[in-house]
Amino acid sequence: MLVGLGLVAVAAVVSLRLGLGVERELVVAVVRALVQLGVVALIITAVFNHLGLSAGFVAVMLAAAAITSGRRIQGVGHPMARAAAAIALAAAIAVVPLFAVGTFPLTPRYVIPVSGIVIGGAMKATSLAGLRLIEELSDHHQELEARLALGVSAMTALRSRLRRAVVAALVPAIDQTKNVGLVTLPGAFVGMLLGGSSPLEAAQVQLTVLFALLGAGALAAAMATLLIARAAIQPGERIQLPVAR
Amino acid sequence: MRPFRHPPGATTPVTAPHLAAQQLVVARSGRRVLNGVDVDFARGRVTAVVGPSGAGKTTLLRALNRLDEPTAGRVVFHGRDVRALDPCQLRRRVAMVFQTPVVLPGTVRANLAYGLDDPGEQALAQALVDVGLPGEALQRDAHTLSTGEAQRMTIARALVREPEVLLADEPTGALDRDASAGIEALIGRLCVERGLTVAFVTHDLAQAERMAQRAVLLSRGRIVAADTPAEVAASWPGVIT
Repeated sequence: MLVGLGLVAVAAVVSLRLGLGVERELVVAVVRALVQLGVVALIITAVFNHLGLSAGFVAVMLAAAAITSGRRIQGVGHPMARAAAAIALAAAIAVVPLFAVGTFPLTPRYVIPVSGIVIGGAMKATSLAGLRLIEELSDHHQELEARLALGVSAMTALRSRLRRAVVAALVPAIDQTKNVGLVTLPGAFVGMLLGGSSPLEAAQVQLTVLFALLGAGALAAAMATLLIARAAIQPGERIQLPVAR
Repeated sequence: MRPFRHPPGATTPVTAPHLAAQQLVVARSGRRVLNGVDVDFARGRVTAVVGPSGAGKTTLLRALNRLDEPTAGRVVFHGRDVRALDPCQLRRRVAMVFQTPVVLPGTVRANLAYGLDDPGEQALAQALVDVGLPGEALQRDAHTLSTGEAQRMTIARALVREPEVLLADEPTGALDRDASAGIEALIGRLCVERGLTVAFVTHDLAQAERMAQRAVLLSRGRIVAADTPAEVAASWPGVIT
């Protein structure tokens, strides 16, 4: 860590000498990282000793993810609740079987990181799908009304837009899965190697996590778009635009 | 192309109102876009809905198609409040085409068959022929059609559903003079041949005179005149630009 801090100090000196003006931001970033990660490490130390506390920790992660995604999908009714439902259901469907069949032991040491990674992936997919769908509804409202005028249900009219939103949301997760090992070495893999595991063991865990991430992302994106579509569909098979905020 | 003139007495005899708005109010953001509209559209007749910009013409057509819901009053089709009917069924029987033709992705065939179970190749080709497009156009990418062709295609797309009423929101608004004359002729012919009830929005009283037996003049969300287009034009000079 001291070597890392030394490198930041070098960067700050370079910034000062070249007049880049980012030295203050570098110091603030380092201090924040030290405090935040230090506090989280202390909390996780406490949480790691109690399965009940770890469940609470997962709930806090879910709430934070729902708030983050909910803010992205403003303009539809109850955005936080819709985001929470999409993320929680997708993450549960992806994570619960991993512990139920014994892929990972049901201990806080595994529950927290695996849940965190999957909830994060579901959150990203929910935000991306929600944002894209809201854009699609606004940009293609005339086309959607033309479809309605041809006597199809609102859900049928929306179908191609839902599909586009889900596909757009899944591109990062699909690319990440396709290029794993080629472009990047993902976190769990690197962490396990650094922790002394064999590359094969690390790869096995990483692949499990990646597949869970992909599954959770797909489920979350599908769920989020369906929930937003339900909010947009009005009585009489009409489609209401999300309200700009 | 020679402009269409509706032949007098060539349509189905006037019957009871086919489609009607009764004390219709549609409000948006607290403003009454339609403010107590009473109007009926007789079977097999062409009615022009005329009026200045912002008078509520498009909103009236949208409400007749249930794309806009009434704040008060009602829309009646065959004597029944449209809210008691299945909206999808209603929209197939009361079809709507828009000012700018909306082309769906894919071929002309995909556009015509959209939402239909198995319309049959012959019915689709016939619908194209009915609007003056060649049946072979079914295989064309719909986005390669000119605006005039695309508007004809959107009318064919509505006709495949065998509607009783055609609502047309300034169907020639985005077209040049020749293409406009073609669409006018087409709508007039469909009305005569199929007994189609037509309500179309226009800014152009001369067009209303050419195409419609009756014109209703909307101003500030209310019907202020309902007569022959010539009478409306004479009684309300300068109301329509």
